[in-house]
Amino acid sequence: MKTGLDANFFINGWRFLNIILLIHLWIIGDSNAGNFILILLLLLLASLRWRLSLPAWSVLFDLFFCLLYIPYTNISHYGLALPLFELVLKGKWLYSVLLFLSSIILLSSSDFIFWHLLQAMLFGAFSYFTLKNQHVQLERLDALRKSEYELERLKTDLLKANQSTSQQARLLERNRISRQLHDHLGHDLTGASLAIQAYEHMEDQQKAEQLLEEVKKRIQRSTIHLRETVHNMSSTVMTGAERMEEIINDFHQFDTSFKKYGDTFSVPAYIWSLLESCLKECLTNTARHSNATKTDIDLQVTDALVRLSIQDNGTKQNKKTQFEGSGLRSLQLRTRALDGSLSISNEDGFLVVCVIPLQEGVDRD
Amino acid sequence: MTIFWFSLKRSFSNTTNLIFLTLFPVGAIFLPMGEVWPFLPYGYQFFGIIVLFVGIRLATIILEDRAKGVVKRLAVAPVTHFQYLTQNLLAFSIILILQSIIVIYGGVLYGHELYHPEWLLVLFISFSFTSLAVALAWISLYRSKETSFLVYMSVIFLIVFLGGLLMPIEAFPDILQRIAVIFPTYWLSEGIVWIVFGNDISEFLLINGVLWLYTIIFLVIGSVRRIN
Repeated sequence: MKTGLDANFFINGWRFLNIILLIHLWIIGDSNAGNFILILLLLLLASLRWRLSLPAWSVLFDLFFCLLYIPYTNISHYGLALPLFELVLKGKWLYSVLLFLSSIILLSSSDFIFWHLLQAMLFGAFSYFTLKNQHVQLERLDALRKSEYELERLKTDLLKANQSTSQQARLLERNRISRQLHDHLGHDLTGASLAIQAYEHMEDQQKAEQLLEEVKKRIQRSTIHLRETVHNMSSTVMTGAERMEEIINDFHQFDTSFKKYGDTFSVPAYIWSLLESCLKECLTNTARHSNATKTDIDLQVTDALVRLSIQDNGTKQNKKTQFEGSGLRSLQLRTRALDGSLSISNEDGFLVVCVIPLQEGVDRD
Repeated sequence: MTIFWFSLKRSFSNTTNLIFLTLFPVGAIFLPMGEVWPFLPYGYQFFGIIVLFVGIRLATIILEDRAKGVVKRLAVAPVTHFQYLTQNLLAFSIILILQSIIVIYGGVLYGHELYHPEWLLVLFISFSFTSLAVALAWISLYRSKETSFLVYMSVIFLIVFLGGLLMPIEAFPDILQRIAVIFPTYWLSEGIVWIVFGNDISEFLLINGVLWLYTIIFLVIGSVRRIN
């Protein structure tokens, strides 16, 4: 993630700028080589603070060096801005105010030094609050990122739960059909079969006709039960490949062609829901962001996998927005949760290929 | 100490380095004495320039490592960046110290008037460390070995000229004389003047102290870990 300049960049910039100011004052001032050592010592401390996080008491070194040179050079008065700045930066307000006041009162400094020390304090305070805010923002960002990861994990868990529920529902449905066939059809058909066997051995014609009438009634009842069972089992909404065809036919913004190969009935319901989402997302994206005039949709089902390819003839328009957005990213995540893959290419038009493996023996029996 | 030995070997691995590290210092011994200025033979007055060049030649090895991704690989190796840096710097400083010893000892054998050869050796060793630290800080600004070396050559000329190694500092205008103090080369030339004329040892210690102060500052600045 691209980030802006860090607050520390400006803090270090101020420190080194202050050293440059001291060098400038030294050049235009006394230019005593011995006094230059004070600047070098302050530069050393500034460099150390740039590289390491020195404790607040380290300002004692700056103070010591400045106080040591006070009898010799006026530069040390300006140098006091550095420990003052560091104290404020560390939030040591009382010490910094004391240092500021004592510097002004005891050292009988010029007006210029007063304003210089004041700006050091103000910049230090500004940096202190900026760093504090930056820290709070970083913590908030971390918490946000953490919750985002947790949400993604939850989504993956939900997808897996969805897959498991789908399998459970399939098994329950199979049991229900089996029970219904057994309770209604099985009873009547067994009765009819036994009646026909008895009819073959019946000598009394009148009884035989009664038996035949019974068989006829049972078979008629069975036929009605069979019709009712099949009718109750049939879905009222379209599913699978039919649903995909319905979605494609509802799109009139551009030409679409749909080809399907293989046994589409072997694809379990939870995969269809993902394929439908993928198809809808791609068609919506093409309609909203692309200049495509035609989209080819290709669905292939083999024994091992199902592959959905959606290719349009659009040209590259805005590279930045092409792979952005949560739609395709969410689909990629959902595909990964099913051990599949969703690849995107914009080399020749826009192509999305979704490949999901079919689990043998779990859903396809 | 694997990095240390490896660093020593690779420092002599190419011809340019070999010339910088051996021929130039030896050649410096045989340069003649000036008439009025410099106070020491030319080879000793200009030895600081050779040290600056050698410093950057050696430090670019670290830059080369960075460009080749060695520093990145070190991040996952059981070697800390501190160990890598110290062992490299130790190898480089040993080369520079040996050079200084050869130049001083060779000069004494050759019969040059070096006034206080032992103090001159101390001065050259101090300046060698400063040169190495400056070069380290310099390469931390660059990604390309060639660019850093070429730009540093011009910088060397500037600091050597303004520092008073190429001509006496008294010949400069007042403002340049003041600015000269900023450069480590000024302190080297001051040290050379002290070797010839000085008698107060504290002055010489101050000069060396300043050179070491520069060394520490530039080491702190240059030791930043940059991964390309």
